[in-house]
Amino acid sequence: MLTAFAFAYLAVLALCLAMNRHHKALFTGEPSPLRRQLLRLVALPLMALSLALCIRDADVELGILFWLALLMLATLALVLTLAWRQRWAMPLAGLLLVSSALTHLG
Amino acid sequence: MNLRRAMAGLHTWGGLLPSWLLFVIFFAGSLACFDKELERWMRPDLPVAAEATAASSLSLDQVRDWLLSKAPDAHALYIHGPAPRQPFWWAGYVPADEGEFQSFALDPVSGAPLQETVGGAFFFSLHYDLNAGTPGLYIVGMAAMFMLVALVSGIIIHRRIFKDFFTLRPGANGQRAWLDAHNLFGVTGLPFHLMIAYTGLAIFVSLYMPAGVQTAYRGDAMAFYGDAMSLFHREETHRPAAPAASLDALLADAQTRWGGAQPGWISVEHPADEAAVVEFRREGRTRVSDYQWTLAYDAASGELLHEQTPYAGGYYVYTWLSGLHMAQFGGHFVRFCYLLLGLAGCAMLVGGLRVWVSKREARGGRGLVLVRALNGAVVGGLPLASLALLYGNRLLPAQLVHRGRAETLVFFGAWALVAAWVVWRRHRLGNDRRMLALGSLLALGLPLLNLLLTPGNSLLASLPRGDWALAAIDLALLVVGLACGLLARRRPAAVPAPRRARRDALGEGA
Repeated sequence: MLTAFAFAYLAVLALCLAMNRHHKALFTGEPSPLRRQLLRLVALPLMALSLALCIRDADVELGILFWLALLMLATLALVLTLAWRQRWAMPLAGLLLVSSALTHLG
Repeated sequence: MNLRRAMAGLHTWGGLLPSWLLFVIFFAGSLACFDKELERWMRPDLPVAAEATAASSLSLDQVRDWLLSKAPDAHALYIHGPAPRQPFWWAGYVPADEGEFQSFALDPVSGAPLQETVGGAFFFSLHYDLNAGTPGLYIVGMAAMFMLVALVSGIIIHRRIFKDFFTLRPGANGQRAWLDAHNLFGVTGLPFHLMIAYTGLAIFVSLYMPAGVQTAYRGDAMAFYGDAMSLFHREETHRPAAPAASLDALLADAQTRWGGAQPGWISVEHPADEAAVVEFRREGRTRVSDYQWTLAYDAASGELLHEQTPYAGGYYVYTWLSGLHMAQFGGHFVRFCYLLLGLAGCAMLVGGLRVWVSKREARGGRGLVLVRALNGAVVGGLPLASLALLYGNRLLPAQLVHRGRAETLVFFGAWALVAAWVVWRRHRLGNDRRMLALGSLLALGLPLLNLLLTPGNSLLASLPRGDWALAAIDLALLVVGLACGLLARRRPAAVPAPRRARRDALGEGA
């Protein structure tokens, strides 16, 4: 479930970066139109991956519900991070991925 | 444009009026996600070993005989054995006159009744009927309906749902920051908020939309549910019962039929009558719709009378919707998600209230003092009263008669005190800061009190034995206490700015 959450977080992070205001805040300058399109396109498979992981772990009925809950919580986590600890927004994605990888190894 | 303006008025007022009530419902509902864990915390007299030796030394037959010795002519008996989240017995009966349900929590080792407490169920009841019975159900239903209206009108008037999707600017001026927060918690949690308001209404649909049952069943909702759920019922014959079969043997038979599943509530209908019926419900907690697979046996001969068929059609949809609301299907993961999303709902309500207030602080407006006082009394008062309830749970004497009622009194008394204090100080500033500081002290004090009065349940004992359900409550209290303390420190002691701004605004208007 942590992995699914990590991918949900990555997906909303990509969607967020596809917006001028947030791109400017986390990188330097505005994103090019191509870059924005790419970020949006990347978000889709990430979301699908997160959904697939939920369905694998909890079957279709519960998996979809888990996924929706994770997406909402990932968005909340991202926005609260952006508001108070902006610089942590990107490293948090890495941290989530690494820790989910570790739980799979362990 | 006109639609937006009309909806803005509806959202402002249709949202403001029920929002204190909705805050109570959201806050209590969020806590009720972990009602069983709170219940365990509130029962410090439970033997610690009970968790380790989950197998109880009590048998079903002993519990039934104990109940019958208290109420030989009971209308119905209800028994629930120990379960992982609830390591004790529940035993209760409906008296012969079909009066109020009497229930007792029994020690799983000794079988003696545990000391009385309202337990975590208090928050559950506060959530769905405000502890006020049927009138409370209708009030909560009205609030839920208002909430749906506020959500839909909110979507219509929000011009920048996607543009501001990730926007929260805590550093911005008051109104801007609170509007961001209101929008953020409303929009990101929107699927949850819509779902929870709709399914909440759906649970009591037979109460809120009674026409169908009134016509087809002459108002007998129980008969309707009996039919819809394919339950078994046998009328009393008013002849004395034959010696009863062993409940434990019947349970063993039921469990083989279920393929080894655990039982939930077990009931005996009119146990003293010849037509007594024993029913076993399966505890299914793996799907959204909770099919109980009820098996009905003759209480004397042990003959299987009826097997409930899986829910079909409309009733399946109903149980799916209510299951979605009650969050019993995905273990602690789902409970935790619902807790966080419920608190996000609280944050949305608080944000909305603060938008209303700061808008009028800037340009002046009637009702400002009243709304501010209500904000303090409800948003500050309810969490403080909840903490007070836990203090009451530990500090009230163990042998007190009607101990549960005394706890309830502590809760509402504390709430009334906070409300009175807020009303008394309604024209002064810094109430929030003082309430946060008090909340911090109360929350941090509880784990300490736990350590002093009931060391076996404190963190020092629960953590080493890996008793996370119990430790999590103390840990959560510590986190809440620290967070409140931090917020109280960060808040400036007094903010005279809004008052001056208001005078300026009034001055400009004059």
